[in-house]
Amino acid sequence: MVTLYRPGDGPWHRLRPGRKTALLLLLVLGICLLPATWWAAGVMAGVCLACYAIPGAGMRELGRQLVATRWMVGVTLIGQLIFLGPESAAANTTRVAVACALAALLALTTPATELLETFERAMGPLTWLRLDPRRVALTLALTLSTLPVLANLARDVREAQRARGGGRSLRHFAMPFLVMALKHADELGDALTARGVR
Amino acid sequence: MSGIALQGVSVRLGDTDVLRDVTLSLDARTIAVVGENGSGKSTLARLLSGLVVASDGTVRVLGLDPVRQAAELRRRVAVIFSNPDAQIVMPTVAEDVAFSLRTEKSPRSEKNERVIAALDRFGLADLAARSSHDLSGGQKQLLALCGAFVRRPDLVVADEPTAYLDARNARRVADHLLADTSHRLVLVTHDLELAQRCETAVLVQDGTVTEVGAPEQVIATYEAGIPW
Repeated sequence: MVTLYRPGDGPWHRLRPGRKTALLLLLVLGICLLPATWWAAGVMAGVCLACYAIPGAGMRELGRQLVATRWMVGVTLIGQLIFLGPESAAANTTRVAVACALAALLALTTPATELLETFERAMGPLTWLRLDPRRVALTLALTLSTLPVLANLARDVREAQRARGGGRSLRHFAMPFLVMALKHADELGDALTARGVR
Repeated sequence: MSGIALQGVSVRLGDTDVLRDVTLSLDARTIAVVGENGSGKSTLARLLSGLVVASDGTVRVLGLDPVRQAAELRRRVAVIFSNPDAQIVMPTVAEDVAFSLRTEKSPRSEKNERVIAALDRFGLADLAARSSHDLSGGQKQLLALCGAFVRRPDLVVADEPTAYLDARNARRVADHLLADTSHRLVLVTHDLELAQRCETAVLVQDGTVTEVGAPEQVIATYEAGIPW
């Protein structure tokens, strides 16, 4: 589900990251405020299609994003259908899917380094709360890039368990996974220090 | 430019003396550090990179004090670790290389040009938009090298950079490290053939430096001491 930047020179790519973030945030906010009706679901889907129809994004990419969020969308749809009925379920599920797709548009068309700088600028006022925006932005970036590493570590631990005839014990999984994750954090810390991050 | 000078250096981690009373003066361009597992080689490399602080003694790397001139040392010294996964910071290949230039004040266009040139040099240009974590082990280590070299360091400290690689990728990484004459190199390695390609070798045994000299001579001493 982690979206990667795809190089391009379409309007979304050319738009400044700060403005793009603000525009997409406004669109997501607008979508959140729409009522849970059939027509609202249509409007949300239309907005999403229009955003992806702009050169540089593309319908194929929208398809990929929807496939990536299929489990979340499926669970939302089933829950809403059971408790709220078809109209609310359709509108709310569309809302979730469109919000995810619009958020992905930011990551798809903005290099992570520029996103990092934008977040740093946006979080500038946090210095008032004695928070370092550079560190907060870097933490966000690292969180995203560490997810695949943790997934690989989890797979390695499960495979090692299976190779040694172990079952699906959560305790036997959690301990080595935690140790490996901490070791990775330690090594990553050294790598960051070596690359000039203080 | 002065190289590496250690005077009576000890490093204590917890209750263990990992390095003991090391005195060393090295001016060669390429230096191999060899020794058994746990002998203190990696700690020596981390000491030179400023990642570990000496408990006693004085350390000078390129004339800099790694504690008091840490920021300048980071700018001039690049470090490459054995585990390529732990060196990846950003989600795509090009972005990970660009991350190394994040603290530099040069214009963005110049940074982009340097990233493109570095990717080209390490044969990663075609993979620029790929997810960094989807690369093979060899490609990840080349990416780590690319991220280090794009900063144009004066000294590269490589701690077993070929440990996780197959023979072909190990050769590629070694060739990149040794071919570039624009920087000094400290290479911690178990690969004795690779160590022989350096100008000088240092033998670390049980936390102390026991021999410094021509790689053939140091390796012969090292091999003679191994209880086969």
